[in-house]
Amino acid sequence: MKEKIVTRRDFLRVAAGTAMAATLGSGILGEARAEPTAKVVLIRNAEVLGDQGKIQGEILQSMLDEAVKSLLGAPEPLEAWQKLIKSSDIVGVKSNSWGKLPTPRELEMAIKRRLLDVGVPDKNIDIADRGVLNNPIFLSATALVNVRPLRTHHWAGVGTCLKNYIQFVPAPWAYHDEGCSSLGKIWTYPIVKGKTRLNILSALTPQFYGRGANFFDKRYVWPYKGLIVGTDPVAVDTIGAHLLRTKRIGFFGEDRALDVPPVHIMAADKTYHLGVSDLSRIHLIKVGWMEEVLI
Amino acid sequence: MVSIFTVAEIVRGEEKGKIEQVIFLPAEAGGWRWDGKDEKYNSGTLFDYMDGAAELYLAYGFQNLTVHRFEKSSQPAVTVELYEMSSSEDAYGVFSFERQDEAIGIGQGSEFGGGLLRFWKGKYFVSVYADGEGVEVESAILKMGRASANSIPALGLEPKLLGFIPGKDLGLVDKSVRYLKSHVLLNQRFFIAHQNILNLNRKTEAVLAQYIRDKQKAQFLLIRYPNLKESGDAYQSFMKAYLPDARGKDRSKTEDGNWTFVRQRNEFILIVFGAPTADDAEALLKATGEKLPGGQRR
Repeated sequence: MKEKIVTRRDFLRVAAGTAMAATLGSGILGEARAEPTAKVVLIRNAEVLGDQGKIQGEILQSMLDEAVKSLLGAPEPLEAWQKLIKSSDIVGVKSNSWGKLPTPRELEMAIKRRLLDVGVPDKNIDIADRGVLNNPIFLSATALVNVRPLRTHHWAGVGTCLKNYIQFVPAPWAYHDEGCSSLGKIWTYPIVKGKTRLNILSALTPQFYGRGANFFDKRYVWPYKGLIVGTDPVAVDTIGAHLLRTKRIGFFGEDRALDVPPVHIMAADKTYHLGVSDLSRIHLIKVGWMEEVLI
Repeated sequence: MVSIFTVAEIVRGEEKGKIEQVIFLPAEAGGWRWDGKDEKYNSGTLFDYMDGAAELYLAYGFQNLTVHRFEKSSQPAVTVELYEMSSSEDAYGVFSFERQDEAIGIGQGSEFGGGLLRFWKGKYFVSVYADGEGVEVESAILKMGRASANSIPALGLEPKLLGFIPGKDLGLVDKSVRYLKSHVLLNQRFFIAHQNILNLNRKTEAVLAQYIRDKQKAQFLLIRYPNLKESGDAYQSFMKAYLPDARGKDRSKTEDGNWTFVRQRNEFILIVFGAPTADDAEALLKATGEKLPGGQRR
C-alpha cells in the first residue's frame, strides 16, 4: 500500500477543522466523537514544588495516584494500577536521563512503589533510559511504563512519550529525518509493541521553547506543577504539545516556531495508528490546581 | 583583553597548493583561562559530542570541530566550539539555520542571546556559551568571541543565491533568511511534507525567508536545481503532492485562507506560502524573477 504523504496542508486542515468545530458547537463535535476517542488526565498541585523547586515526593505520589484513578475510573490507586499491571508482569519503566531536565527521581519512585504494591517483585522491575537494549528486564518485559519530562526537542519538535522510545533502536539518529516522523514505527517493533500500559509526561517544570540539540535555557522553563497521564501515547503527546504551544503564544505573543513542528505525533496517528492526535477527539480530564492551567 | 594565544588548530587550505592556514584560539579572556585540553572531532566522532545534532553540521559539509573550555574561579565555565566547514557558504548556512537573535558585530554575521554567541567568518562557524548566567560571564563570552573571530584570517563569500530574493522593500525579515542544503533541514525550519516532494539533494540549494505582508507572515522559498529537467520534475512533484486542487494553475488558496503560489524559472523553483492575497504572492515572485539570471529579458 502506498504511504500517504503528510503535508503542511494536513495541519492547516486539522487547525481549520478544530476551529470550525469549536465555532459550531456540540453538533459537529458529536459527529467527531463517533470516531475513536482518547482520555487524558491533567493533574496539578500548587505545592508539589517546594523551596528552590525541590520536588515534594509525597505530594507527587498523591498526584500520580489521583491521575491514575481518574483515568481508569477506580476508587483506589491499587485498584487502578491492578487494571494496568499484573503481579506476574516483568516491568520496564522507561525513563529519561537528559541531564538538564531528567525524569524526576521522585516520580520514578512513585511509579515503582505502586508496581510493588500490585505485587510485582522488585527483581522484575527496572527503571532505565539509555542501555535498555542491553537490559535483561527490558528485553524480557511484559509491560512498560513510559515516563519522561515534557520539553521542546531539536529534532522532534517536542520531546514527549512517543520520542521516549528512541532508545529501543540501535541507531536512534536514523529516526531524526523528516521531523522524526517515523518515530511511531519504533512502537511497532516486538520489543515494545503492545506492552505500554501507561504514559506519563512530567509537566512539573516543562521547557516550552529552545533551539539546538544541547541548548537549555532557564528562561523557557516554568513551574507548571503538573502531570499528563494516559494510556494513549499519541493523545498524551498531543495534549503536551498543545500546552507548550499555548505557553509559547502567551510568552512571545505568537506561536514562535520550534526547530521543527512535531509532525511525528500526527504521523503516529495517521501512519502508525497508535492513537488519537485530533484535539477535538481527546477527552481531557483536569484535576487539582487550575490557576494558569492554560489548556 | 586577550593577551595570550596558543596554536589550537592547523588546517589545510581550501584548495591544494595553498599555504596551510593556522587558526589561533585565545587562551584567556576576561579572566577565564583555557584548561589546556584540545578536544577534536571529525565526521565520524561528531555524534559522540552532539548526541543527536550532528546531522545539521554534516549536511553543511562539516570537516572538523575543535572544542576549548575556559574556567574562572567561582564562575561558570565557558565553551568555544570552532567548526570548520567545507566552504564559507556552508559556514553561513549553519549560522543562518538557527539565527534568531540580534547581531552583535562579530565575524561576518553574528547573534547573541540567552547567553549564546554564534557567528561565522570565512569557512568557520563558531559557538561560544557558558554553563551559567551573569553579567561577568556574558562579557567574557563576547570577549572570547571577538578574539576567536580575530584569529580567523580570511573572509568568505555568502551564498550567491541570497542575492536573488526580494529585499526589505517587500517586507523581508532579515533574521529569517536561511540557506538550506537538504529536505530535512528545510522541514525543520518550515515543514512542507514529510516526504521529499521538492526533490532536494546534494546538488540543490535553497533559500527560505519570511516576509511581512499586511502584518501577516508569508514564507518565500527559492531553490536552484542543477538543470532544467530537475527543476521541472520537482515542479510537477510539488504540484501533485501539495497543490492537487490547483486545476492546472500555479496557485491555490489553502485551508488557512492564504495563498500558495509556485513557479518554475529555468533551473529555479519559486514558492510563496501563506500570502494573504494573490497580489502579495505575485509581488514576491515578480521581484525575484527580475533578479534571476536573464530575468529582465523575459
